[in-house]
Amino acid sequence: MKATEYRSALQPVWCPGCGDFGVLKGLTQAFADLELAPEKLGVISGIGCSSRLPGYLRAFSFNSIHGRALPIATGLKVARPDLTVFVVGGDGDGFSIGVGHVPHAVRRDVDLTYAVMDNGIYALTKGQASATTPIGIKRERGLAGVDEQPLDPVLFVLSLGCGFVARTHSGNLPHMREMFREGIRHPGFAFIHVLAGCATYQTKAYQEEIRGRTELLPDDHDPTDFRRAMDVALDERFKLGVIYRRPPVAARPAWAGGGAPPPVEPREEPTPPDDAD
Amino acid sequence: MAVQPPAPAPAPDAAARDSVTLTLAGSGGDGVALLGDLLLRMAAHQGLYGMMVQSYGPQIRGGESAVVVRVAREEVQYEGDESDLLLCFRVADLQRFRGGLRLHPHGVVVLDAADESPLPDWLGRAERAPYRYAFSAAPAGQAAPDPRNMLALGLIVNALGWAPALAHRALEQRFGHRPALLAADVGAFDRGHATLGVPPLPRLAGHGVPLVVETGNEAVARGAMDAGLRFFAGYPITPSSEIMETLIEELPGRGGHVVQAEDEIASLGMVLGASFGNVPAMTATSGPGLSLMTEMMGLSSMTEIPSVIVDCQRAGPATGMPSRMEQSDLLHAVFGGHGDFPRVVLAALDVVHARETMHRAFHLSEKYLLPVLVLSDAYIAQRRQIRDAIVETREMPRRRTWAPQDAPLTLGLEEVVPPFHAPGTPDGTVLIAGLEHDEQGWPTADGAVHQRMNERRFHKLPRIAAETADWYRTLGADVAAYGLVAWGSTYGVLREWVREHPEYRVFLPEILEPFPLAALERWRAGLRWCAVLEMSYAGQLHRYLSGLTDLRGVHRLARSGGLPITLHEIAQRTREALQ
Repeated sequence: MKATEYRSALQPVWCPGCGDFGVLKGLTQAFADLELAPEKLGVISGIGCSSRLPGYLRAFSFNSIHGRALPIATGLKVARPDLTVFVVGGDGDGFSIGVGHVPHAVRRDVDLTYAVMDNGIYALTKGQASATTPIGIKRERGLAGVDEQPLDPVLFVLSLGCGFVARTHSGNLPHMREMFREGIRHPGFAFIHVLAGCATYQTKAYQEEIRGRTELLPDDHDPTDFRRAMDVALDERFKLGVIYRRPPVAARPAWAGGGAPPPVEPREEPTPPDDAD
Repeated sequence: MAVQPPAPAPAPDAAARDSVTLTLAGSGGDGVALLGDLLLRMAAHQGLYGMMVQSYGPQIRGGESAVVVRVAREEVQYEGDESDLLLCFRVADLQRFRGGLRLHPHGVVVLDAADESPLPDWLGRAERAPYRYAFSAAPAGQAAPDPRNMLALGLIVNALGWAPALAHRALEQRFGHRPALLAADVGAFDRGHATLGVPPLPRLAGHGVPLVVETGNEAVARGAMDAGLRFFAGYPITPSSEIMETLIEELPGRGGHVVQAEDEIASLGMVLGASFGNVPAMTATSGPGLSLMTEMMGLSSMTEIPSVIVDCQRAGPATGMPSRMEQSDLLHAVFGGHGDFPRVVLAALDVVHARETMHRAFHLSEKYLLPVLVLSDAYIAQRRQIRDAIVETREMPRRRTWAPQDAPLTLGLEEVVPPFHAPGTPDGTVLIAGLEHDEQGWPTADGAVHQRMNERRFHKLPRIAAETADWYRTLGADVAAYGLVAWGSTYGVLREWVREHPEYRVFLPEILEPFPLAALERWRAGLRWCAVLEMSYAGQLHRYLSGLTDLRGVHRLARSGGLPITLHEIAQRTREALQ
């Protein structure tokens, strides 16, 4: 199946220039790469701009309530281990209202992939500060919580003991596609931090700055080295790639799904022609 | 002229008694719960019915505890007003149970010989002097005193005239895997049983066919499994936790899964996720948990993903009294939540009825694709009940699922339940959204569509009402002139009330939403006097019914929970209301 065939008839409501368009495209490409049947795909979200994404997919999609995508996805995967379950949401959904579910999803290690599209702002409700908004932005815009430290999603999830942690950027389509593929293949809970720009409530300069701070992980990065992964998370630069991948364990509990160990070699695939649009 | 004292009551006539109530009070570590459980199991083994309730201090573990065991010739769902026997290791422990314990005039009090404190007046006066036993003395040749609960077991089995072999068997079953402990317990039991001069209790003989002991929470868990439950998620909370504990033990054997969630929001979220996967799913909680689930209940109704939610009500609000019963979640169950949405609310009357209720809950939720709440309470949930052997009726509720050859969806007031799109069905992909959506599932902000969709979703309720019109129970004669409307666990005491008071009839709904209103109106025709009896300070059932029908002239017999409503109390309250 071609990537475009994973799209539903619904047209996105996102603003022109929104980073979420790239995520949608990267995700459909990853589904196509893995040859996943739409009827075996469960895509769950909460509430927010990014949480509209499941509606644009041909899948069993569930646009639920704010912050609760992870429990719903957990129930679906445990009850239906035959499905591939992908969870999407934003920084408000995953790191504010729903943050309490993240440690438990990590702890249970049910075979889910969770992509958080982090634009550092509440965009759907028109520009309030989120738990990941930098202090400088809050001060500059007069947003609430200037004295409150932002939360670092990658550092947070790594510290919880997550078995798969990756970071990517919504402007880097081939990289996103690869990260989604790797996350889906990982047996167990996989977390992907997607730096996603907001065209309406973040300035062009801010988006440029974020993008400018990204850089691919060096080729010699060993993702099985947890201490090294923590160093990467603490780096001033936003390192893109698989930051941490727990070495395969012999046996996972059957109820948590994802029994197979991860493939050793990531697949390198040519970009299908339908990506030209 | 001196008032003549009343003539002493005759000795208890054994043949006239249908039940015996034993109250066993102690502190943490005295083992009164084990003592009660052993007595209950011995009763069940000889074909006697009965029940046991446990009463705790304010904290859930530790502190004073008491159990009440009632054994009876027929099934009972009420612990009885007065104790035929009160066993109490320390008189001071009784203070906690003020208002919850009364002694039968012929009752026997067994105390520790070392404790000479006077019995409190509120207990009532027994004609027989307390029987004192040296529980704390070590027997000759033994360094430590015997376990006092085992000595007490011996005394009580002697007083009841039961065969000691019954106790030996019960102890063997319980402690057979720990021979040293078993030997010590049997030794203590035998010493207690051999004691002379123990005042006799009324004799009861069972029919000889062993019966089943089950708690309300076990009945809910097992009833749900029989009804098709295959996924459970829950968070520990008194008094519902044993539902999850039972399912952890028993559901995997039926091919199902249990997840202990991080909170009650996640519990219902996981249930909706599993149910979205076309797997019958349920959660169980108490009032505080139901509060957290309320947003998710609306999601279940809006997305038409079925869910079953059991609420074992306790006394609230906030932490309230976690181990005590109350009937104060009714309005939350029926009306709680933002926005308008249809849901079903069922009520369990007792432990036996709880199983049937779970079958009904899964049937309705899966057929009509909406949330079904089942209201139990602490009195049903944690009561150990002797009941007839269970005839399991295993069934798997079938949702009407969408198939590729189905005609395009036409929903309206004729066709109120859409076919369910089950994951895995080729070409069946679908968007499920908490956003308002049209018949195809596409999100909308169109007020006309919202009205049309609400109309269609709410039209499930009259369908359900037609199907459940006889989901109620009545007690007493149709011609009785006095009526009581009640619900839930007060069923137990009301069964006995109408037996003693043939001038009363009782109406108990088994479904609260949609309410079997036509049945209520038929039932109350011709009544001279009527009252709503309930355990809610605000009188929630009375308020609820006032919105459904004309309740002018119907009295409110409402009070807070905490203690079960007794026969004595109903007599007093109806007398006051009738004046």
